[in-house]
Amino acid sequence: MRRFRRDWSHGGDSGRYQRRREYFDEEPETSYSCSRERRTREEVVTPPLPEQAASGSLMATSVDFKTHVDQACRAAEEFVNIYYETMDKRRRALTRLYLDKATLIWNGNVVTGLEALTNFFEMLPSSEFQVNMLDCQPVHEQATQAQTTVLVVTSGTVKFDGNKQHYFNQNFLLTAQSTPTNTVWKIASDCFRFQDWASS
Amino acid sequence: MPLRKGLPVKTPSCLCDADQVVCGLLSPSSAAVTDHLQTSSSRPHGFSSQATWEDIGDGPLPSVHTMGHNDVGNPLKRRTRCWGIYRRRYNNWSEQISSGIHPSSHQQQDGDPATNGAHMSTRVRYAPYAVPPCHRRGNSQKQDQTQTNMEGEQKPPERRMEQEKQDETTGKWFKIIIPFGIKYDEKWLLDLIQGQCSVPFTPVEFHYERMQAQFFVEDASVAFALKNVNGKIWDEANERISIFIYPSDTPHSVQKELKSVKVEQTKLLPSNLRNKTPCQLDGLSDTVQNATDIKNLNLSNSEVMSLEELDEGKSLQPEEMTADRSTLCTAFPDKSTNICSILELFPKLLRLDSQESPSPTSVGIAAHKWLPTCRGSFFGSDALKRLVLQFLQHYYLIYDSRDRQGLLGAYHEEACFSLAIPFSPEDPGPSSLCEYFKESRNMKKLKDPSLRVQLLKHTKCDVMRSLCVLPKTQHDLSSFVVDMWFQTERMLCFSVNGVFKEVEGMSQDSVRAFTRTFIATPISNYSLCIVNDDLFVRDASPKENQSTSSVPVPTPSCSSWPTLCQKQQEMGQTFSTQSGMNLQWSQK
Repeated sequence: MRRFRRDWSHGGDSGRYQRRREYFDEEPETSYSCSRERRTREEVVTPPLPEQAASGSLMATSVDFKTHVDQACRAAEEFVNIYYETMDKRRRALTRLYLDKATLIWNGNVVTGLEALTNFFEMLPSSEFQVNMLDCQPVHEQATQAQTTVLVVTSGTVKFDGNKQHYFNQNFLLTAQSTPTNTVWKIASDCFRFQDWASS
Repeated sequence: MPLRKGLPVKTPSCLCDADQVVCGLLSPSSAAVTDHLQTSSSRPHGFSSQATWEDIGDGPLPSVHTMGHNDVGNPLKRRTRCWGIYRRRYNNWSEQISSGIHPSSHQQQDGDPATNGAHMSTRVRYAPYAVPPCHRRGNSQKQDQTQTNMEGEQKPPERRMEQEKQDETTGKWFKIIIPFGIKYDEKWLLDLIQGQCSVPFTPVEFHYERMQAQFFVEDASVAFALKNVNGKIWDEANERISIFIYPSDTPHSVQKELKSVKVEQTKLLPSNLRNKTPCQLDGLSDTVQNATDIKNLNLSNSEVMSLEELDEGKSLQPEEMTADRSTLCTAFPDKSTNICSILELFPKLLRLDSQESPSPTSVGIAAHKWLPTCRGSFFGSDALKRLVLQFLQHYYLIYDSRDRQGLLGAYHEEACFSLAIPFSPEDPGPSSLCEYFKESRNMKKLKDPSLRVQLLKHTKCDVMRSLCVLPKTQHDLSSFVVDMWFQTERMLCFSVNGVFKEVEGMSQDSVRAFTRTFIATPISNYSLCIVNDDLFVRDASPKENQSTSSVPVPTPSCSSWPTLCQKQQEMGQTFSTQSGMNLQWSQK
């Protein structure tokens, strides 16, 4: 067990790692709320990425495509749950989910870099998010230059403390940072907008 | 309001207006002021905090509380208070006022023996809570230190604090926050606010904290007036500036001054100078013009006491101030009783526009209730803006036409497309979005992994097939809001929000709102190739419904995506160098 601990950038409970592995072997629709409670680290982690097949043949790419889609779906679902829970309940840890140079466009306001993001999230009132739409796509490698990336699109409602409830749309670009034992997904870019932003 | 007698003077609040008074005093162009110099009003004036503007009326105020100029007198006309905003700048001259007028009536209201001495004449204004020099732009370090005087003793700190507590209606501090205020110059911002604010206000401890600009003001009516400025001022980019107020503890610098025992002199002023009700800003422009005159006046005064002597122990060292500031700003002051009492007094006053009034229990917990101002479309650069808008115009021209096959050239060979509609567990009934329902890949609802793969359209042909079966539409380009949220040399991600109308089928004339996210790679300087396309469709809200203008169906001049795309793909570099356009594809 202890050997896994070294591989985690933030330390953590290797026992939890075991649980998570089990989860990913199960059907995705199994609720993992039970493991969520024990999760204290804010990281989106999935099993290691499969080897990229040599590009060229369409058949190879279609097999890869399904794998990419599966992986994207897992990452997206895991991510969305962690992200909004962290945003609501552990706001200070939220920036751990972002790359250093990540950008956020929040209702047309640009926030770039971890420091700015930290300040921004600290300033935002406490929130209560409810997601009622989630979609994701693996991003084509021609655009990402072989950096595994997933597009995540969400929608739902949010209530910021002291403000009325808003419907929101949000997009993320998640990028994979692979290690031999796992894949850590971080936000490269984030775009958030109220549906009724013009009247806010 | 009757003046309270026998109460010690409430120095800090009085003194905050001292500058205003002095400003007015030293305006030589104002003949009226000179008149007032000699006037000894019979109206009661005083240091009681309960005096209000109503008490004073429009007449000149007695010269007693002036700081003591022999020749300049009493600016205590109403308009002088409007010059308070310039207090900090004019501190250098104010300090140097040494002689003062000592009206007999001065003693009448001032029940504090410490201040009510025989030689009360030359009191110099004491501004304990002025913004420390290290935080002010430019000038003299000693500007806001008190001055002078001949004999007056200072009011003991304990007395002052007592006064604070006894004073029920004043001495309440409020924190003013301008979100994203860090963008603005301090003077520019304060001037702008003052220009819209119905009462003159005196900002205390103006500073920037993270992305905000913050300062304190005293008095609920001032805070209320500032609250009303919210949304009525714009910056140079025509963006609305928001102002939010929160009840607050006494600012640290003010507290420190109260506790300081090294203050040598204080000048007590009648608290009836304090802004209790809105007043007209009619003296403001005069003051600005007279600035230079004021400065000249100061220098001629030879009875100035050394500012250094007064400085000792009073001025906060920069490091010290910084430490204070950090403690100030990390959390909402934990004086819930104070805040609660304010809220009870002014429940309507403190309700922010379109927000709920924070309950007394929640105020101590949540420091911030404001949100950044929402803005319109965001583009990384003008060049990209042109590119994206051009793309969208062309895209929807074809999308809304009879045959969407024309979009074939816009998509990459291995492009992905998926569509989703909202899912709310409480209301799972069939919605009017049934046309989209079977294509919807909302993973909140769809759990089957194989279906998830199946519903994600892959390759150009699949994508086109899927697009062609979706209901015919008519998009309102004027409703589009675009966020360009990621760009590299090889990728551009942008989201389009807008509305469209269905023009045929079961849901004809239904208005839908959509958010469509495109990820595209550049083909040339002016063309994009879509690799990912994600469409989210929902019913339009009533507001969105109304705003849809009747957009005439455009007759496409070109029914298919320009084949140039393919050609440009080959030409690539050549074209871009020819056009001379310099696209910023740099990674953020």
